[in-house]
Amino acid sequence: MEILKKYPKLFQWLFLLITFFALCFAIDVPETYKFIRGQAEFVRDPNQSTYVFLGKEVRYYAFDVFWRLPPLLGWLPIWINDSLFFLMNEWMPLEFWNEDTQEFKTRPLLLEVSRKLTFFMTFLIELIREILIGGINTIVTFTGWDWISDNPWAELPGLPWTIVTAGAVLLSYHLSGRGLALFAGLTMVYISIFGQWKPSMQTLSFILVAAPLSFMFGLGLGIAAFRNKRVEKALYPILLVMQTMPQYAVLVPAMVLFGVGDHAAVIITMVVAIPPMILLTILGLRAVPPEVIEAGKMSGCNNWQLMFKVLIPTARRDILIGVNQVIMVCFSMAVISAFIAAKGLGYNLLLALNRLDIGLALEAGLCISLIAILLDKMSLAWANKQEDYFGNLTFIQRNKNILFFVGTVIIGIVLAYIGTYLFKGTHNYLFEVPHNKGISTADFWNRGVDWIFDTFFVYIKAFNTWLIQDVLQPMRALYLRMPAIATIVLVVGAGYLIGGIRSALIVCGLTLFIALSPWWDRALVTTYMATFGVIVSCTIGFIVGTLSFQNKHTASFMLGVCDIFQTFPSFVYLIPVMMLFGITDTSVLIAVIVYATIPATRYTIEGLRSVPAGLHDAATMSGVNKFQRLTKIEFPLAFPHMMLGINQTIVFALFMVIIGAFIGTEDLGQYILKALSDKNGAGIGLTLGICVAFIALIFDNLIRSWVEKRKKHLGIA
Amino acid sequence: MLKENYLNKIKELPEPIRQLLGLVSIIIIVILSFSVLNIIFGEGDDLVKRMKLEEERIAKEKKLSELISKLPSGILVTFDGTDHHRLTDDVYEQVCNATKLIPQRAIMGANFLNHRAHEIYTINGNKIDDTFVEWDKEKGKCFAGFTVSGNNVGVDESISVSGEALSFLSTGIDTRVYFIKNF
Repeated sequence: MEILKKYPKLFQWLFLLITFFALCFAIDVPETYKFIRGQAEFVRDPNQSTYVFLGKEVRYYAFDVFWRLPPLLGWLPIWINDSLFFLMNEWMPLEFWNEDTQEFKTRPLLLEVSRKLTFFMTFLIELIREILIGGINTIVTFTGWDWISDNPWAELPGLPWTIVTAGAVLLSYHLSGRGLALFAGLTMVYISIFGQWKPSMQTLSFILVAAPLSFMFGLGLGIAAFRNKRVEKALYPILLVMQTMPQYAVLVPAMVLFGVGDHAAVIITMVVAIPPMILLTILGLRAVPPEVIEAGKMSGCNNWQLMFKVLIPTARRDILIGVNQVIMVCFSMAVISAFIAAKGLGYNLLLALNRLDIGLALEAGLCISLIAILLDKMSLAWANKQEDYFGNLTFIQRNKNILFFVGTVIIGIVLAYIGTYLFKGTHNYLFEVPHNKGISTADFWNRGVDWIFDTFFVYIKAFNTWLIQDVLQPMRALYLRMPAIATIVLVVGAGYLIGGIRSALIVCGLTLFIALSPWWDRALVTTYMATFGVIVSCTIGFIVGTLSFQNKHTASFMLGVCDIFQTFPSFVYLIPVMMLFGITDTSVLIAVIVYATIPATRYTIEGLRSVPAGLHDAATMSGVNKFQRLTKIEFPLAFPHMMLGINQTIVFALFMVIIGAFIGTEDLGQYILKALSDKNGAGIGLTLGICVAFIALIFDNLIRSWVEKRKKHLGIA
Repeated sequence: MLKENYLNKIKELPEPIRQLLGLVSIIIIVILSFSVLNIIFGEGDDLVKRMKLEEERIAKEKKLSELISKLPSGILVTFDGTDHHRLTDDVYEQVCNATKLIPQRAIMGANFLNHRAHEIYTINGNKIDDTFVEWDKEKGKCFAGFTVSGNNVGVDESISVSGEALSFLSTGIDTRVYFIKNF
């Protein structure tokens, strides 16, 4: 009894776990249950049960409700599809003037809006793309094909790679100094001589359209949410779901609304990139000290002036960190959008991976990684840069960078002109190195992969077999063996014990949504893969983070490494693992582990760093040794911060598991991938995306509630 | 008053006990909700029976498709032919059960001896209403047939043509009736 009084929480958790296991053992697996067909999956079979809701017939394999809930939300994907079809084809037909046929034509409003938006986006992308690599589409838009064939000189020539490289170097120098300028120069030269110039510029043009638009919309909505609580409340759930929804899943509805191609990819990129911008704008504006606002008001600022002359300049850094996030999300989406035929490096990477040409994939992947690091460093340098306000500089001193750039433009044009003579009858390498004419290391890497397989095949196979047969399959079977009621009792009970009745209700709602969708089993498989990844990542992250923390320089170095790895789009991680482990579940899990270890390590180091220095001194004065200080003081105090790392690790792991469907897992991601090639896939893709987001939000809710409580308990809230 | 007393008593309980009571209540609510749902949506033994039938059907189809994949490609007969393409009594029955398709060639051949069926088949645009391939246990033979009807062209007449399936065509993926002996 004393123990119960001393450790009441332990007793409550034990009670919950005993109930969970009792339910697991009490409910048998139904004789007719089979994982593969344990879903509705919209196939027809005479033994399926059916129900009709909102006029939609849902067919499913019925089981004992305690084992698996019937898919009462099975109508949702069908309803979303039908609604989209109705909106695109029947809703609000209006008369629109058709320039080509010179007559009015009846067309639904949304279809017309989507067409106009498509045209506008395509125009913007083509314009920037043609400034960078040349073309005729922009001129044709304003003139016509007849005019351009009569005036071939009017074609936009594009910029020589030397000018773009010089521009990147000068901008990097202006923002951060020599180090970044050197890195920018090397990156651009690498891209060029390895023949990746054209796809890189295609990707860059994509970002140059998506990022500014996302910034404008994000800033506008962020300001609106800051000024109006109702707007903030309305935006909050959308922001939460969008932050945890796999980017992959958002592609599917975009295809229905805007088709495939760069324009659709830009629009959907904006949908994904705007939420972080909104959040950071709100955070930045909230962090403005009230004294500054008071001073602004006392100076006689009206609302507009207060916002744009006082609040936004003061919150400049946070807003620019938002820009950094927008750029990185845009870049990540530029790669993933290859699935809906967006041109650029991502498309080349996808083609190479489809052909299992690891060498080519590595080349494209390296380019992607280098550009990602460059964009990240440049945007961060911009955020951290302090404006110089020196009034007594000469014209040349004030505009030296612009003058340098003008100079390099002239030199670049002259070089390109000389190149036409130097490389007569062949490609002008001083203008652009064509895609297949650059240096290629693909063969070298492919031979390396062959060598790895030849040399280590036996060991890799043995490891694969052991991992799959002895670890993964039993773990998967355990997850699938959980009856729905036991899972819900566990999740709701955990929610109640951690965050009270409110938290219990939230996680119950989120879990029920997944349990009532037709993909509960697949969600369990997704969770099992993510859980495995998270356990291993956290173990590695905690060990590496704790060891790195022991030395100031190692800690800084490790944080730098995390920074660099975090900038890589998730898709890139698949290349080395496919190279080593081929097309297996092991590859996906290794990619998950590598990707998810980054936040685990980062938050461990940052958590340990956040422990006040005064406590270190107090501990040393009390005579504790290093190990005691770590276990008795630093870990308990840093643990809440480290738990936020676990939160991030879970989100990262889930994203990677979903991307891993490309290799061939059988989780929710696989169904999202299938939905991409299904004409009725929009509803399925969106519902699946929401399911993944909800898995992440369940963990998010539990961890955040625990962290808040723990911080209050430790007095560090 | 009584209610208030109870509420006060609960409020007076120590926090850990109240939390445990809350947990127990939540678990009971979840289990009760599931029980209600089970009454509404549970299908019990009937479902198990139906699913078992389905299992049997799938297993049988799988076995038959395995057999078909082992058969040689070409025309299979019961009465003559080379050893390779001649069906034993056992395999004949299995092939009969596995066969679902009656191609147009076999239908034309059977119609040739049924003048009226041939006429209706011609005027209705070569439309077949229904087909069947069945094993007759008593006779130990395979029978195939089809129905032609002129309903779609205003002729209120339908004729069923059937006969012994004398040969089958094995494509390597499936088997089809090759010749129906309806005389």
